[in-house]
Amino acid sequence: MRARLAGWAFLVPLVAYLVGCYAYPLFTNVDLSIRGYTVRSFVHGGAPLVGFANYAGVFGDPTFRTALVNTVLFTLVSLFFQYTIGLAAALFFARGFRLSATLRALFLVPWLLPLIVSASTWAWLLNSESGLVNAALKVVGLGPVNWLTSPDWSLVSVTIANIWIGIPFNLVVLYSGLQNIPREVHEASALDGASGWQTFWHVTFPLLRPVSAITLLLGLVYTLKVFDVIWIMTKGGPSGSSTTLATWSYELGFGNMLPRFGPSAAVGNVLILIAVVAGLLYIRLQRRQELA
Amino acid sequence: MRTAVGVLLTALMLFPVYWMINVSLTPLSDMRKAPSLIPVHPTTEGYEQVLREQMPYLGTSLLVALGTVVLTLALAAPAAYSLAKLRPAGRRALGFVLLVAQMIPGIIMALGFYGVYVKLGVTNTVWGLVLADSTIAVPFAVLILTSFMASVPDEVLQAATIDGAGPWRSFVSVVLPASRNGVVTAALFSFLWAWSDFLFAATLDSGGRLQPLTLGIYRYIGNNNQEWNSIMATAVVASVPATVLIVVAQRYVAAGVTSGAVKD
Amino acid sequence: MFPAPVPARLLAALGLVVSVAACSSTPATTATPDTFSVWDPYPQFTAESEWVKTIEKCGTEAGVKIQRQAYDTTDLTSKVLLAAQQRTAPQVLVVDNPVVSTLVEAGVLKANSDVGLDAAQVSPNLVAAGTVEGQTYGVPIGANTLALYYNKAVLAAAGVDPASVKDWDSLNAALAKVKAAGKKGITFSAIGTEEGTFQFLPWFWGAGGKLTDLPSGKAALELWKSWLDNGYAPNSVVNNTQTTSWQEFATGEYAFAENGTWQLGNAKKAGFEYGVIPVPGRTGGTAPAPTGGEFVTVPVQDNKDTEAKAGRIASCLTAPDKVLAADTALTYISAVPSVQQQQVSAQADLAVWVEAVKNAKGRTGDNLGTKYPKISQPLWGAVQAALTGAKAPEAALRDAQAAVK
Repeated sequence: MRARLAGWAFLVPLVAYLVGCYAYPLFTNVDLSIRGYTVRSFVHGGAPLVGFANYAGVFGDPTFRTALVNTVLFTLVSLFFQYTIGLAAALFFARGFRLSATLRALFLVPWLLPLIVSASTWAWLLNSESGLVNAALKVVGLGPVNWLTSPDWSLVSVTIANIWIGIPFNLVVLYSGLQNIPREVHEASALDGASGWQTFWHVTFPLLRPVSAITLLLGLVYTLKVFDVIWIMTKGGPSGSSTTLATWSYELGFGNMLPRFGPSAAVGNVLILIAVVAGLLYIRLQRRQELA
Repeated sequence: MRTAVGVLLTALMLFPVYWMINVSLTPLSDMRKAPSLIPVHPTTEGYEQVLREQMPYLGTSLLVALGTVVLTLALAAPAAYSLAKLRPAGRRALGFVLLVAQMIPGIIMALGFYGVYVKLGVTNTVWGLVLADSTIAVPFAVLILTSFMASVPDEVLQAATIDGAGPWRSFVSVVLPASRNGVVTAALFSFLWAWSDFLFAATLDSGGRLQPLTLGIYRYIGNNNQEWNSIMATAVVASVPATVLIVVAQRYVAAGVTSGAVKD
Repeated sequence: MFPAPVPARLLAALGLVVSVAACSSTPATTATPDTFSVWDPYPQFTAESEWVKTIEKCGTEAGVKIQRQAYDTTDLTSKVLLAAQQRTAPQVLVVDNPVVSTLVEAGVLKANSDVGLDAAQVSPNLVAAGTVEGQTYGVPIGANTLALYYNKAVLAAAGVDPASVKDWDSLNAALAKVKAAGKKGITFSAIGTEEGTFQFLPWFWGAGGKLTDLPSGKAALELWKSWLDNGYAPNSVVNNTQTTSWQEFATGEYAFAENGTWQLGNAKKAGFEYGVIPVPGRTGGTAPAPTGGEFVTVPVQDNKDTEAKAGRIASCLTAPDKVLAADTALTYISAVPSVQQQQVSAQADLAVWVEAVKNAKGRTGDNLGTKYPKISQPLWGAVQAALTGAKAPEAALRDAQAAVK
C-alpha cells in the first residue's frame, strides 16, 4: 500500500504537467474544430457550434484525398528508409573501430541544424537551374529533373530530405539497442557456425524487436507531424502535389491572410486520430508479444 | 579499412552540411550560378556579421536548452522510476497518454501556450520558452527512461530496502546512478530539440529581449530579403558548441534502450 | 468563447507559472498604461536603429514609455488576433496593408476618425487598402511595388533597346532576341503563396483582368506559360520566392527580373549595370502593380484615453518629417506626394518607382476587403497548375473561380 502511494507520489509532477501543458491546447483545438469561427467571432466570441460541419467540409475537399495519400506515402517511405539506413549504420558502428565513436557523433550533426537551414540547403541542392544534383546528373549524361517544381517529383524530394534528417534519431536509438544485446549471444551464434547474415537475421534482429518497435512508433509520430521541411522546400506545391495533412492544416490556419481556424483545427485533429490509432495498434501488438 | 569506409559514409551523410558551409562562404552574386564544389570567390562577410551580431542569441540558446534539459529530467526521471519500479495501477493508461501527448502537432501546442501566456503576461520570457520546449521532450524522456530503469534488477532494490532505504533514497542512490546512460540519452535528446526549436521560439519569444539563435537567423530573413551567407554562417557557428557537446556526451551513451517503453 | 481563465488558474494552482510575473505584455485594465506596446514586422531593425528611435521619440511626445516588439510578418496576423482575443492587443500596430481589412472585419482596429488619425495627405490609391465601407483604418507608412529590372549588358549584347519594351508583344520580341543571343530571358516568382499572386497581379491587371472574374485575365497566364514553354523563363519560377528569383537575376545571366523596390540596395551591389522599367500592360501603357508596404494602425483598447494617445503616436510615426527616415531605411517610396519629391531629388533613380507607386493598386481595394484572400489563394493555385502543365490556363482560372465562392 505504501509502495503504491509512493508510486503515485512520484508521478504527481508529471501528471500535473501533462494536464497543465497538453490538455489545454488539445481542448482548444477540439473546440475550434466544432465551431464556425470567423475572424470576428474568434476575437469577440460567440462562434456558433457547428458540430461536424468543419470535418464534413474537410473530408469533402478534393485536397483531403491528395493530402491523405501524400501523408501515407511520405510517412511510410520515410520510415522505411530512415529505419533501414539507421539500422545499417548502427550495425556498422557497433563493430567498433578507430574513430568509430567520433564518426558516430558526427552522424548526428544534421540534427543540430535548425530545420529552416537544413531544408533550405536541400532546396538549394535540388534547385532545377542551379542545384548541384542536376549538375551531377548532367555530368553522368542524364537530363535535369525538376525536383521541386514538377508535381511528379516534389513529394519524392521532400521525402529524401526528411529521410536524411531522420537518420540520426534512428541511429542513436538502434545503436543503444544493439549495445544492450549481450556479447555472448553473438559469440554463441558464431560458434554454431552461423554466418554474419544468419546471426543478424536469426539472433540480432529478433532481439532488437522491442527497440525497433518503439523507434518506428516514435518515428511515425514525428513523421506524421513533419511540417517545416515540406513548407520550406515546396510550400506543399506545386499545386498541392506535396501537401500532407500537416502542411494543409498549417496552410488553412496560417498560410493565408484570412485564417480559417475551424477547418485547420479539424485537419489537425484527424492527424492526431491517425497517430492514436497507430499507438493503439502498437500496444495491441506488444500485448500479444507478451502473451506469446 | 573499416575506418576508411566509416569516414566515407560520414562524408556522404554530411555532404549537405558541407554544402551549407560552401554557401556560407559564397558571395550573393554567385549564389545561383552553376554550382561549384568549392567557393570560388570566398567571402567571410557572413561570418563577420554573425560574430558581430549573433553572440547574445547563442548564449540564450544555451540557457534555454540547458534549462529544458533540467526541467525535462526533473519531471521525467521520478515518473519513469515510478512506472518502472513502483508499478502503480494505471501506468499502462499513463503510457498511452504520453504517446498521445507526443502526437499533438507543434503548432497546436504553440497556439495553446500563446493564449495562456498572453493571459498571464509571460510571453517573451526565457522560462516560458523553457516550459514550452520541454513539452517536445518530456513524453519521450519518460518512455526512454522507463525502459532503462526497468532493466535495473529488482534484487538490487530489495537489498536497498532491507538496508532501510525508502523509495526516494532508492531512486536517488540506486536507480538513478544505475541508469546513467538513459539519463544522458534523454538529456541529449531534450538538449537537441530545444536547441533547434523554431516554432515555440517564434510564437512565444519573438518579441523578447533574450531570443534564441533560431530567431537570430530570422533577422537575416526579412520581409522581402534573405541574406543567405549570413543565415548559413549562423547555422555553422551554431552547430559548433552543440557538436562539441554531443561528441563528449556520446562517450557516455554506451548502453541503451532496452525494451518497449509502454511496457510495464 | 474559450474558457481561458480556467486552465490559466489551473496552471497557476499547479505551481508551474506562479513565480513568472514578468510584465512583458500589458494586462487588460481600464486605466491608461504608462507603457505602450508597439508591434511591427521589421525584425531587421535593432534597438539602435533610426526606426526604433523614432518610435521612442513619438512615445515621449505623447507622454508614454514605449515597448517595441518586432515580429515576423507572416505570423503577425495570427498573433494580433490571439492577443486581441485575450484583450492584450498592442496600442500601436504596424501591419502589412492587405491584412488591414481582415483585422477590421475582426473588429480589432479603430477607425481613424475615432482616434484622430488623418490619411488625407496620402495618395488615395495607397489609402484604398485601409478603407472599409467609407471608413479608413490606419495610415500607410510607405509603399513599394513591382517593376522590371533589366541587365544593360545582356540587353545590349542581344541588340534590345529597353525603351522599345512598351507592351507584351515588344517584350516577347525582346525575350526572343535575348534567348537567340544565348542568354536567359526573365525570372519572377510564381510560388504557391501570397508572393506568387503578388507577382502575377501586374500581368493579370495589365491584361484587363478583374479579381471578381478570374478567367478575364487568362491572357496573362497564357503569357507566363508561353515563357516557360519557349524557354524564356526558367522552370524554377514555380518554386521561386522573390528572393530566389532575385538571386537568379544577380548571376548576370538574365535580361529581366520582376522584382520590388526593396531590391534597389542589392541591385547596386550586383556588380553590373541595371535599369528599371514599369511592367507593361498587354497593349501598352503601364500595368497597375499591387502595392506593398505597411499601415500604422491603432487596435481597440479598453478606454478612449489610451486610444487617443495611441492615435497621437501613430500620427507622429506617419508625419511627413518623421516618415522619410523610415522609408529610406526600408527602401520604400513615401505615401505622401511631397515626401516623394524629396526622395526623388535626393536620389534620381527613384523616379521610376515613384511613377510605379502612383499607378499601383491595393490588392484589397475595389471594396474586395476580406474577399481578397479568398480569391488570392485559388489564383496562385491556378498559376501553379498552369505553369506545371497540370491544367490549361483558361481551365485553371475557371476552376479557381469556381473555388472562390
